[in-house]
Amino acid sequence: MMRRNTALLCSAAGILLAALCVLSLGTGRFPITLEGLLAGDAQQLRVFWTLRVSRTVMGAVGGICLGVCGFVYQTVFRNPLASPDVIGVSSGASAGAAAGILFLPGAAGVTLCAFGGALAAVGLALLLSALDRGGRSSTIVLAGIAVHALAQTVLMALKLSADPERQLASIEYWIMGSLNGVTLSNLGGGVSLCLVSVGVLFLLHRQILLLSAEEGEARMLGVQVTALRLVVLVAATLAVSAVVSLTGLISFVGLLAPHSARLLTGDNRMGAMTLSGLLGGALLCGADLMARSAGGGELPVSMFTSLLGAPLLVYLAVRGRDEV
Amino acid sequence: MSWTQVEGLCVGYRGRRVLEDVSFALEPGGITALLGANGSGKTTLLKAMCGILPHQGVCTVAGQVLEGLSPRRLAQICGYIPQRSGIALDISLLDVVLMGFNPSLSLLQRPSRGMRRQAVDALERVGLAHRAQESYRRLSEGEKQRVILARTLVGKGSLLLLDEPESALDVHHRYQMLHLLRQWCAQGERGVLAALHDPQLALNTCHRVLVLDRGRVAAQLCPRRDSLAEMEGALEPIYGPIQLLRCASRWGSEELVMLKQREAAGWNL
Repeated sequence: MMRRNTALLCSAAGILLAALCVLSLGTGRFPITLEGLLAGDAQQLRVFWTLRVSRTVMGAVGGICLGVCGFVYQTVFRNPLASPDVIGVSSGASAGAAAGILFLPGAAGVTLCAFGGALAAVGLALLLSALDRGGRSSTIVLAGIAVHALAQTVLMALKLSADPERQLASIEYWIMGSLNGVTLSNLGGGVSLCLVSVGVLFLLHRQILLLSAEEGEARMLGVQVTALRLVVLVAATLAVSAVVSLTGLISFVGLLAPHSARLLTGDNRMGAMTLSGLLGGALLCGADLMARSAGGGELPVSMFTSLLGAPLLVYLAVRGRDEV
Repeated sequence: MSWTQVEGLCVGYRGRRVLEDVSFALEPGGITALLGANGSGKTTLLKAMCGILPHQGVCTVAGQVLEGLSPRRLAQICGYIPQRSGIALDISLLDVVLMGFNPSLSLLQRPSRGMRRQAVDALERVGLAHRAQESYRRLSEGEKQRVILARTLVGKGSLLLLDEPESALDVHHRYQMLHLLRQWCAQGERGVLAALHDPQLALNTCHRVLVLDRGRVAAQLCPRRDSLAEMEGALEPIYGPIQLLRCASRWGSEELVMLKQREAAGWNL
């Protein structure tokens, strides 16, 4: 039966995310206490507001965003393995960030270049796919693969011309992903874009489900397939680009969260999309907590999203199969 | 001018003409079967009529030219059942049927309670209301066809274009589907054009039969009116040597039976 207690699952995921956010606010190299904050300790307050809050908000909002967008990509492309990589978001952002590190040093420059790279890659993929007048989703995937390969070539060229001591290491570190560089000053724009885009995707949820039918079938259900798909992909891409431009590449969240949500709820309704977002947020917050607590220094967050996510996905898949 | 008019329809794939100057007319109130061999252009004709395939020619329903209409407006006039629905996600049967209301809803509007009731009624009519919350993906192909029929029936379209809607159904459900479609047609200015594989089903349940042969309309039959010889002559180019018989059934109705002469196999291992 499909109807399970999605509300209960969403509540549980919400509580988990909230708990991880509270933990995240109190975890880091500089110790912060509730007493210290309430007593108005200036240094603790500064660390809390400038570093911890921004990092926690980015972890939660970024994870929610990746979870929701992963859900949307998989539905629109009718492919359970679809992710932002499919249309070149991640590879475009990587190439953009590498260009930023080389030619426009500074956090803001790198963020802007990564955002621009992601949008340019997706724009190129959509432009190439427009050559197919049939507007098939498979053409967008093929165009995305071509753009991904092109962006990888650009990235390789930029790496070859990078200074191996500093620039190459920075590129590699950016690609591995971290919430370390997120501060209150660069957070606002990205988070606002994420929230607006995710809001649009939730509003269009019913239409997104219609896109899961074949193109001709969706059209005969009254859907403007090409236009709607474009709107949905642009909204999802803006959100993912905003996240990865601030955090670097974060693997697995966009793939794992939607699968887990579907396996837990057994459907693709709005509740499953909400759960996907909440699980994405919890996964990224949890991984970020581990990234700053596990080693002596700051470790890449993608190490832990994969480490936490892979066994969970296998467990849910096996459990789901047993239930059939 | 007839209720539905198709004039000079031509469709080609990569330089090969699949439909050549197809013209015919349909009147409301009945089911028209589209018969033809594999590759004769049945699916292409239906897809062209509902604008999925680019084509030359004009299709008109109740005075409204279909070419150039927005998908939403087109879906308000025509319902379409593909050979197989492409829904590949876990969506409940009820949600699949509710998709049929989309042409009547605005972009952000959600189906009303009344629509949900109608969707459950439609599932009831195809015998699947008790499984409304189950996943569509886990149904058998025949059950999927029944759900898609329910989805099409809740739509507002007055012309239904059905592409082998019976191909995965057992005999009992085939006749039930055709019975349901006949009831639907009788409620106002409505009509059905259905590509069917089973000529006997078509001859016994449809008001008219269009015979498509290599992309052209080869014959138009009216099984209740035309003579057996006329119908045999029209169907033999497709099915080979056949014989049609009118038989009286035990329950008093007259049925057409098609016998097929055994031929030397055209295929060899």
